[in-house]
Amino acid sequence: MSALRLRITMPALAVCLGLAACGSGQSILQAGNEPPPPTTAAPSTLPGQTTVPTLPPTTLPRPIDSLPGCDVEALDIAAAGGPVEIVFWHGLSNELKRELERITDEYNSSQDRVRVRLEAQGTYEDNIDKYLQSNTDNRPDLVQLPEYAVQLMIDTESSVPVQACMEDAGYAAAELLPAALTAYASESVQWAMPFNVSNPVLYYNRKVFRDAGLDDDKPPLTLAEVSAYGQQIQQTGAASYGISLDSAPDGGGGWFLEQWLAKEGELYSDNDNGRSAPSTRVLFDGPTSVALLTELQQVVTTGGGVYVGENPGGQDHLLKLADATTPAAMTISTSAALGPVLKFVEGGIIPGIGVEDIGIGPMPSPNGAPGALIGGASLWITAGHGDAKAAAAWEFITHLVSAAVQSQWAAATGYVPVNSGALALDPLQSVYADDPRFRVAYDQVAQAPDDPTFAGPVIGPLREVRVTAAAAVGKILSGGDPATALADAAALATDLIASYNATRPSN
Amino acid sequence: MTRRGPSRVSSHAHGRSHGRARRDWGLAAALLAPSLSILGVFVLYPLGRAILLGRQRCDPSGDNCRTNGWHQYVDVFRSREFQQAFGVTFRFALMTVPIGLVLGVALAVLVDKQLRGMGAFRTIFSSTVATSVAVASLMWFFLLEPSVGVLADWIGGTAKNPGLLHSEGTALWAVAVSSIWANLGFTFIVVTAGLQGIPADLYESAYVDGASGWMRFSNVTFPMLGPTLLFASVVLTGRAFQSYGEFDLLTGGGPNGSTTSLTYLIYGNNSLIKNDQGLQSASAVLLFIVLLALALLQIRGVEKRVHYGN
Repeated sequence: MSALRLRITMPALAVCLGLAACGSGQSILQAGNEPPPPTTAAPSTLPGQTTVPTLPPTTLPRPIDSLPGCDVEALDIAAAGGPVEIVFWHGLSNELKRELERITDEYNSSQDRVRVRLEAQGTYEDNIDKYLQSNTDNRPDLVQLPEYAVQLMIDTESSVPVQACMEDAGYAAAELLPAALTAYASESVQWAMPFNVSNPVLYYNRKVFRDAGLDDDKPPLTLAEVSAYGQQIQQTGAASYGISLDSAPDGGGGWFLEQWLAKEGELYSDNDNGRSAPSTRVLFDGPTSVALLTELQQVVTTGGGVYVGENPGGQDHLLKLADATTPAAMTISTSAALGPVLKFVEGGIIPGIGVEDIGIGPMPSPNGAPGALIGGASLWITAGHGDAKAAAAWEFITHLVSAAVQSQWAAATGYVPVNSGALALDPLQSVYADDPRFRVAYDQVAQAPDDPTFAGPVIGPLREVRVTAAAAVGKILSGGDPATALADAAALATDLIASYNATRPSN
Repeated sequence: MTRRGPSRVSSHAHGRSHGRARRDWGLAAALLAPSLSILGVFVLYPLGRAILLGRQRCDPSGDNCRTNGWHQYVDVFRSREFQQAFGVTFRFALMTVPIGLVLGVALAVLVDKQLRGMGAFRTIFSSTVATSVAVASLMWFFLLEPSVGVLADWIGGTAKNPGLLHSEGTALWAVAVSSIWANLGFTFIVVTAGLQGIPADLYESAYVDGASGWMRFSNVTFPMLGPTLLFASVVLTGRAFQSYGEFDLLTGGGPNGSTTSLTYLIYGNNSLIKNDQGLQSASAVLLFIVLLALALLQIRGVEKRVHYGN
């Protein structure tokens, strides 16, 4: 490069590295779009009032005949010539993975019709990425996917809805928890089978409660109680803080907001949370949400609470209870963490605190309403691999959600059993009798009212929408203005949905 | 005279070389084929596809694509998110590269002595080479964790509440420190090798001329290390721009986007474009162009000032 060219290139690059000159101020989501779509420019200032949606609802319900079918008898024919092998991608690790392997091995050796080959793909996110990037031939016959992937999976148009198999087999779903089923149903189609269910619960330090003069059998149910308890804990010096709150997308920032809106009887997105037709915009910037997050902000500012940040490792809020110098007395976390938490406490992570000192209560909310949305994951049957494989996958699913297996699975992992029959069977029966803490999450599912708000949102880019909501919650818990933070997040979330819908298969 | 030698020979052979080149073409192609096909399949084809994909917006499965054209690259480059991530990455490189170089040189010079026990220090200083990003990041994560981290309790203040990785003002520095630490072994080894290549008679002459320790460093060691430092700075800059594991494991791009680097924007779980392959490709190609420009700038701009010995 000649000196002259260098003299020209260097400043040019320096200017662009100086950034300000190059920025358009536009969101990356608008990249490539000719003019920014006008529909997203005026989002949801008054979300309570339904304005004209950007996408009209499709015909409802979606006819089951228009979707890939299921012929359960195909397995009988195919199995006559030897067992049908199916591949099952899951996203579990550690003890959860080992328990699934044990159940699967037992299933494989108990019959000659189906052989299940487990493939651990890492996390749920890895499962989603690999599934999306594979073509039909490379996809597994059965895949486990998290609650936020429902619309994303529907739009891949790559699965046999479990409803098709239920109808073909005359399967009686009477014992399955209705709330768990509803979480994976939309447009009147049961898409997937719930398998491992969890929801947020309150973790609290009973010893701190007693030291503060609080009844350690009565955990706070409302946010006002959380604040009052926090103040008393601080005033008596029993602990430095009341509750520790985080703003992780899959925790206190994103997932909990969905839970709280459901508990308040509010929709999270339009078209009945995307259950009657795909959502076109989010509704979490309405007056109820603003009031809710203002109250949550007050829990931190005046209610003795502490905000522990975006919690990228998923542990910071729980570790705050084990802080040697400035501990908190409560936090909200997924019920799936109960097993590991008790194991940590047993190992002596909090000096002077034993496993019996960890209390579990329902997730507190503004008004203390019972019930919770379904978290965890469900099982999806892949279409295009032939009737025998689909039927084999279905047969394995019925085994996994049977009362006997769910009793073992829930007892070993702490997940909520999706089959109510499991409660009357050991080992789960004795686990719940011996340690009612494990039952709290189950009761929350059982108490959830049958209402679209309690089915939770299905949105194509729900994971990304959660990230925007979590950013807003983070700003609010750090002292930001709730209305502004929520409005900004809702505008971005609505852009995400518009951008997703622009490439939906039906468009 | 010696520099003219080869050119004279080649001008003599010029007449014959055309014929031979044509004859050797087949053999050359056959010999190059294995590496060319590997390069083609694993580098050139994916790069070409990524460049084309960067003009498109697709559904999350990569189907149902709409081709928007090359202006999508301009839009992505100028977008809020890309500019912010670019700024974060640039600052991260400005933090990690100079400090990493200074520390690497300092440690290497310290142990570049013929004394007993230096081997042990060399082993210790180069040990981070054997530490993976994941292990290093998890270690720093727990050292800095505000509730149970040892460093958090020692430092106190912001480190305790909200935590160095949890505060917008300190998060990028905290990630940079972990990255500098993890890359120190590499810089140390490269600089040590460079030091061993400096002829001892230069130091002897300087010593005879009465140069002090600092003068020997600044007038002999530093200029003679030029090529090594250039190499290390190019590699460290590349690494800084391509760092991903640290951001993913330590901060997840937060707090409030303050550590969303370009790689995290492209690939991170908390990125807004994590299921939009078109935007991801466009961002990745832009990162490639930026890195290419930076490497050229470093090499062309500094080369003339670097002393390569004779």
